[in-house]
Amino acid sequence: MTTLTKAPAARLARTTTATPPVTRGVRTFLYVIVLLAIAAIFITPYLFSVMAAFKPLSEIQADRAWDLPSHPTFDNFVTIFTQYKFGTFLLNTAGVTIIITIGQVVFSLLGAYAFARIQFPGREAIFWGYLSMLMVPNVVTMIPLYVMMSKVGLTDTYWALFLPYVFGTPYTIFLMRQYIQSIPSEVIEAARLDGCSELGVLRRVVVPMSRPIIMTATIIAVIFSWNNFLWPLISTSSNDLQVLSVGVANFNSNFTSQWNLVLAGSLVALIPMVILFVLFQKHIVNSVNLSGANR
Amino acid sequence: MTQIAAGRPAIQPAAEEPRSTHSSVRRRSLTAYGLLAPSLFGVIVFLGIPVILVVVFSFLKWNLLTAPTFVGLTNYLDVFQHEGAGHALLVTFYYFLLNIPVQTALALGMALLMNRRGRFTALIRVLCVLPYLATPVAMGVVWQWIFAPQTGVVNTLLHFVGVSGPDWLNSPGWSMPVVAFANIWQFVGYNMLFFLAGLQAIPPMLYEASAIDGASTVQRFFRVTLPLLRPTMLFVLVTGAIGSFQVFDSVYVMTNGGPGTSTTVMNMLIYQNGFIGFRIGAASALSVILFAVILVVTLIQFRYFNRRTVYELV
Amino acid sequence: MSPQKSTGVSRRQFLGLTGAAAGTLALAGCSASSWGFRGAGSKTAEITYALWDANQQVGYQKSIDEFQRANPDVHVTIEQIPYGNYQQKITAQYISGDAPDVFWVNTPWLGDWAKGGLLTDIAPRAKKANIDFGQYIPTLVDLHRDGSKLWGLPKDWDTIAIYYNKQHLAKAGFRTPPTDLAWNPEDGGSWLHFLKQVTLDHKGRNALDPAFDPGNVDVYATAMTNEFQAIFGSYLAMNGGAMLPHAYATKSVFDSKANRKTMTFLTEMLHAAHVLVPNGETGPNGNSNNSQTIFASGRMAMWQAGDWNTGSLAGLSDFHVGVIPLPIGPKGRISVINGLTDGIASNTRNPEAAWRLVQWLGSEKSQRIMGSGGYIWPAIEKLDPLFQSYWKKKGVDVTPFLTEAQGKVVNFPVGTGMNEALSNVETALGPTFLGQKSATSGLASATEILDYRISYATTT
Repeated sequence: MTTLTKAPAARLARTTTATPPVTRGVRTFLYVIVLLAIAAIFITPYLFSVMAAFKPLSEIQADRAWDLPSHPTFDNFVTIFTQYKFGTFLLNTAGVTIIITIGQVVFSLLGAYAFARIQFPGREAIFWGYLSMLMVPNVVTMIPLYVMMSKVGLTDTYWALFLPYVFGTPYTIFLMRQYIQSIPSEVIEAARLDGCSELGVLRRVVVPMSRPIIMTATIIAVIFSWNNFLWPLISTSSNDLQVLSVGVANFNSNFTSQWNLVLAGSLVALIPMVILFVLFQKHIVNSVNLSGANR
Repeated sequence: MTQIAAGRPAIQPAAEEPRSTHSSVRRRSLTAYGLLAPSLFGVIVFLGIPVILVVVFSFLKWNLLTAPTFVGLTNYLDVFQHEGAGHALLVTFYYFLLNIPVQTALALGMALLMNRRGRFTALIRVLCVLPYLATPVAMGVVWQWIFAPQTGVVNTLLHFVGVSGPDWLNSPGWSMPVVAFANIWQFVGYNMLFFLAGLQAIPPMLYEASAIDGASTVQRFFRVTLPLLRPTMLFVLVTGAIGSFQVFDSVYVMTNGGPGTSTTVMNMLIYQNGFIGFRIGAASALSVILFAVILVVTLIQFRYFNRRTVYELV
Repeated sequence: MSPQKSTGVSRRQFLGLTGAAAGTLALAGCSASSWGFRGAGSKTAEITYALWDANQQVGYQKSIDEFQRANPDVHVTIEQIPYGNYQQKITAQYISGDAPDVFWVNTPWLGDWAKGGLLTDIAPRAKKANIDFGQYIPTLVDLHRDGSKLWGLPKDWDTIAIYYNKQHLAKAGFRTPPTDLAWNPEDGGSWLHFLKQVTLDHKGRNALDPAFDPGNVDVYATAMTNEFQAIFGSYLAMNGGAMLPHAYATKSVFDSKANRKTMTFLTEMLHAAHVLVPNGETGPNGNSNNSQTIFASGRMAMWQAGDWNTGSLAGLSDFHVGVIPLPIGPKGRISVINGLTDGIASNTRNPEAAWRLVQWLGSEKSQRIMGSGGYIWPAIEKLDPLFQSYWKKKGVDVTPFLTEAQGKVVNFPVGTGMNEALSNVETALGPTFLGQKSATSGLASATEILDYRISYATTT
């Protein structure tokens, strides 16, 4: 297997462009402008909430909430960590997220490979069974699931927070199945002919070639469990088990709205996600190239 | 001329594996079920059983507190006669139509644009995904600031150029497009990720081959990129459609279903019936109806996208 | 198809079925106690007290610390549940036998919880304990009573009055605003005249000025939003109307002649006078979501709201806030009154300890802590000056709320299906408040859904 160092588009650009440097300079300039414009659209609404996180409540209410803070303050952040147990919420959420992510990615990959590359009786039926689970809105399944978990004494435990999600989700399995299907079959057949078992094929061929999608699935799993709200809210009660999303929701009630704390909490919650995404995203684009295997 | 197999369908038994002996078939099945075991357990216990219970509930009159009674198909009639299920279905379809084409096209376009190395492009990619990373509750209030009729960002900007903007969230004509816009904003970057990942699976030599054949950029897009992205496209469209039919959060925080019921989508109706009115039977019946609609849409998508499996590339 | 008669599956059987399904959940090796929070071995009774407000939680923690000093054999843990999911969570916990032992009950859910058997009838215990009901604001006891049954002791109350921006009213010429204004649905009365006087356009002209520019209003007088409790409920009562004729009524009286007039006054006449913030500004379906922000940012001079907003408003930096009572209607000055109570789950494992806590929370000692800390108006009438003086020190005179509570009040409507009905009424009245439909047609469709909800919830 050869590993390409250039992403396909870049490689393509190099092989096909015979344009003079001036035109290329203009194109690069346009490219940068377009990208900056796109970025502005995506970042601006969020910036409003970032700015508001540094304002006292009275200022959020009193003026155009999206203006620059007139007297930036860190009070909101101090409050959520001292008056509320935001540190505990962070730790709980991080623990649950790690467990869910590992389980989801590993088990989904196994399932996805079976669906994509192994012939077995019942494959279509089971696949559609999985897919159909995505089609039922989860607000209605929440209460039966709660009653079930309660019957086995798992509500209000750490287990309740991750068990329903740790065994792989139809969503991720579907995602990975689609990707694994597009791996050229010659590669897999070659490995099988070389005497690889299915697990061997999975480990030596599919996993290395699926890095972009594994990274994508990891990001999805992390963000899903990091922001998951309704199930942690219903399934746990103890303050020691509270997660970020529920902690943030508790800042507001029908009597008091503390948007300053909500926005500060949301900002704190966002930071680890951004760091993680920055670290992971390059693996989506710059990972092993399939073409190498195809040669 | 290159022939490549792509988007091999799951529907028809593809000829990936040579026909083989009885025992090897058995061994293969065992392996497959072994690989599936964890997810099968999770899906059956945590999704399957609750879903079956929901189907059972749809035939009951039950408010969780008093004893349930069997009412046959009454709930299915009631939700159309008294709860406005028909209207909600139309509204949901409208949202789906506003959302999916734009979102998918934008996500694909952005993925093509950002499918290169370099720190600058990487930074922009991160910024595009930021909306998806953010907590929904924080964004809800931000949209109120942006679309408020007099003090909102949009109308303030419009005011500068001498236009007086409408009351976006409370006008029957604008509210749904605005909700769709917010949702597209939130999920475009996310869907771009799938296309980016999918693009990595396209062998560069195909581009080279078609470039040698003299294909233009546009031709290369339609002859190489798009066909080879079919599996990804299927995923993005299917999950995007499911997500659109089940949209809830953005409607809830932006319009709460209004003005009147003009943005009351199916999932909002399910929420209102189940979680506010505690009519578990009606909420379950609505869920079953929504499930049926989504199933049909998904089947159509699968049919279309698995139609051709081998592409002749010039 | 007509609803078929029940083939009586009992709740027990039904939960059994769910349980059987759950039996497949044989999670070998998952011992709940290792990570969980179940069980405490000692003799102290462990009870949970659920509430939803972060601010009041601080006060109640103080009160409960006091309670535990007096009752060392009871340990109370406070559980905070976000308001938006409070009813759902308590219900789910209850049917699984995990409900908090004692929990806040808000009036919109009271009917369903009472009828569904979720709450304990405390009437016998209250009688035995010789609770002095005379000490409470009278109407509050009735709020939580259904015939001979009693679902909780009064703990606090809320009335509706009008917060005003002192700086703006002074600018409009009212250093001390009048408190004897009167409204009527025919011509708006002195109230409408006053609203016009304090609505100022961008050149500082008020709405009585012939040159007044309604397209460029700087500060509106107030807002009339799509909300029963804080806004139109009181006006309905002041014009002799109501939503329900009495608690647990099976048919509403919402679409009455009097109510049509009142709603036309609120949603058409006042808007035509350009004295109200357009309802598109105030929130989805013209509800009150953004009212506080609009008031705090100085874009409306007065905000009609419940007393629970005093804390947030006292913290505003741009202007000082005063309070005036509601205007006087054809039937006098009448405010909607509401109050929370502490319910006891009917399947609590510690009914004795739960009752002791409920009794404590209804007692003078606890309400003194809550009142003097400025958290709530105590339900025990003689303690109300504590709350009053707390906020006086913070610069807000909240007396009008108390005056109203001691005058004519109307209870928040109680009945089965009311929570959803109120939300449906808001949806049905949305186009009316947004000026897209007439008050008459809005009221008709709101009444239709209201009556349907009530009758659906009362027939099993």
